[in-house]
Amino acid sequence: MSSDPASTRSGDLLPPHVSARRIRVNGMFVTGCLILAPLVLMALSASYLAFLDPLSINAPEKLLPPSWAHPFGTDHFGRDVLARTVHGAQISLRVGFGSTLLTALFGILLGTVSGWYRWADAIIGRVSDSLMIFPGFVLAIMILAAIGPSELNVVISVTVLYAPRVIRTVRASIIEFRDAEFVQAARTVGVGDFRLLFLHILPNAVGPVMVQLSFGFAWAVLVEAGLSFLGLGTPPPTPSWGSMISDARDFIRSAWWLITIPGCMITLAVLGLNLIGDGLRDMFDPRLQNRGNL
Amino acid sequence: MLEYALRRVLAFIPTIFITLTLIFFITRLVPGSPIWALIGHQSVDAAQIDAITKELGLDRPLITQYLEWLPRVLTGDFGNSIFYGRPVAQIVADRFPVTLYLTTIAMIVTIAIGMPLGIVAAIRRGGVTDYASNTFSSLGMAMPSFWLGFLLIIGFSVLLNWLPSSGYRSPDFGIWQWLSRLILPVIAQSLAQIGLVVRMTRASMIEVLGQEYITMARAKGLSESRVVLKHALKNAMIQIVTVIGLTFALGLGGSVIIENVFALPGLGQLITIAAVRRDYPMLEGGIFYLTLVALVVNLAVDLTYAFFNPRIRYTG
Repeated sequence: MSSDPASTRSGDLLPPHVSARRIRVNGMFVTGCLILAPLVLMALSASYLAFLDPLSINAPEKLLPPSWAHPFGTDHFGRDVLARTVHGAQISLRVGFGSTLLTALFGILLGTVSGWYRWADAIIGRVSDSLMIFPGFVLAIMILAAIGPSELNVVISVTVLYAPRVIRTVRASIIEFRDAEFVQAARTVGVGDFRLLFLHILPNAVGPVMVQLSFGFAWAVLVEAGLSFLGLGTPPPTPSWGSMISDARDFIRSAWWLITIPGCMITLAVLGLNLIGDGLRDMFDPRLQNRGNL
Repeated sequence: MLEYALRRVLAFIPTIFITLTLIFFITRLVPGSPIWALIGHQSVDAAQIDAITKELGLDRPLITQYLEWLPRVLTGDFGNSIFYGRPVAQIVADRFPVTLYLTTIAMIVTIAIGMPLGIVAAIRRGGVTDYASNTFSSLGMAMPSFWLGFLLIIGFSVLLNWLPSSGYRSPDFGIWQWLSRLILPVIAQSLAQIGLVVRMTRASMIEVLGQEYITMARAKGLSESRVVLKHALKNAMIQIVTVIGLTFALGLGGSVIIENVFALPGLGQLITIAAVRRDYPMLEGGIFYLTLVALVVNLAVDLTYAFFNPRIRYTG
């Protein structure tokens, strides 16, 4: 961030948050990235590995324990669990990434509008606060029951769930700096609303929002898994980790590999993302060290 | 304090109103969908669909439907469940205790383990306990609770055969019959919650322990346990109570999944089945009552908060 051209050009007119502040990469962040990297690699390569077909049914080879031919074994339809796991990474991370992107877009946009214009706050602020009344997961179930189960709809419901939190954060930092001296100074020189917001005020929210989004990403992965487990998320036969666990529940006595593998994957993904969030938080704001992700 | 409490309770009324309004409009995002729930997979012609639409009043404008729905629902009448054919309120009343037992016991376990662990981690910062509790809470928060539930079933029911793997018995059958079926669900439910409470307790204790009045209390020669438990903890409680409230709300959401794993006939299981079958009256009623519990807990938290933080009582 120290090399950001905007901050070197008009350094003294910007608040300390944006101007030359060195950000150190920390251990938790690196560990999180290391945990997540293989999963991302799996997700990216899944479509190109033709020999990993998650859908081909092979009845004679059903419920085989791990072997050289099938390193993760096969499920009750004789489908290769390794192929399903790799494709599951793609679904999980795609849903997580998609909802994080949408959450960022709507969160920042609506948060900015409601922090900047008082009239908008009456509507946006109230609606987003009201959405936070519901126990999160229940809201997702309600939305999916209305619009039907599909990958895109999971993304939509996670966005509705998480965007209010981002809206709150962005809104708070806009209000904090709305009347700050550097904003008044910029205004005096004739800087317009748009430029003022996006170049001078919003950059202050980048840190907190990125932290929130990385926790949101982790949360999206968990929610997608949970919804698919309940049969409300990604519909079968798509190999979502959540639905793989749901399929495996009838075989917990006989086929341990069916249930352990997708669960470990979810745990690793969420752990990695949470560590990245923890790391980012400590990097952006050392004062908040060791805070929870609420 | 009384005035503050009264004000908070009054603020409850618009919240209920907003909750109901959101439930109404979200479940009707896709027009006409309740009809498909009724028809299911039977083949019907257009005339029959028209007839059902008329009968349910779905042909009228949404706002008219809403104005008729709201006063009815405010008296607790969510109509009849499409699938069960019985009043929603009755079914919810049958299922409610199970969810309440599960979430309340899980919350008690969470507080009983999470808070002491967080306090010890804060005092022995950087020590073995701190490191262990940090690893434990990170893992607890990363594991999907439903998966953990299955692991517990494999371990304690299938392999060890100590506890029943699923189902529910009411306390009338005897306390052990009842409790033994709740132990595994409670563990699965509380692990992630414990992780959160440990982290927050630790963070707020560390913050408070760095304050000047703590140094002052130590300088006065008070015993360390008195400093920690009386002076530090009481102030850290302000933040901890908030987190406990939020955790409870999260737990209510999580119980939906746990009830499905362990076949517990609670409100969460009811909501999921209603969602899958698109039984809208059931879904609306179930979600409303579950949210109501979260709201009541939230209110209780606010009042406790005022108790721990006198400043709130006057300015709030």
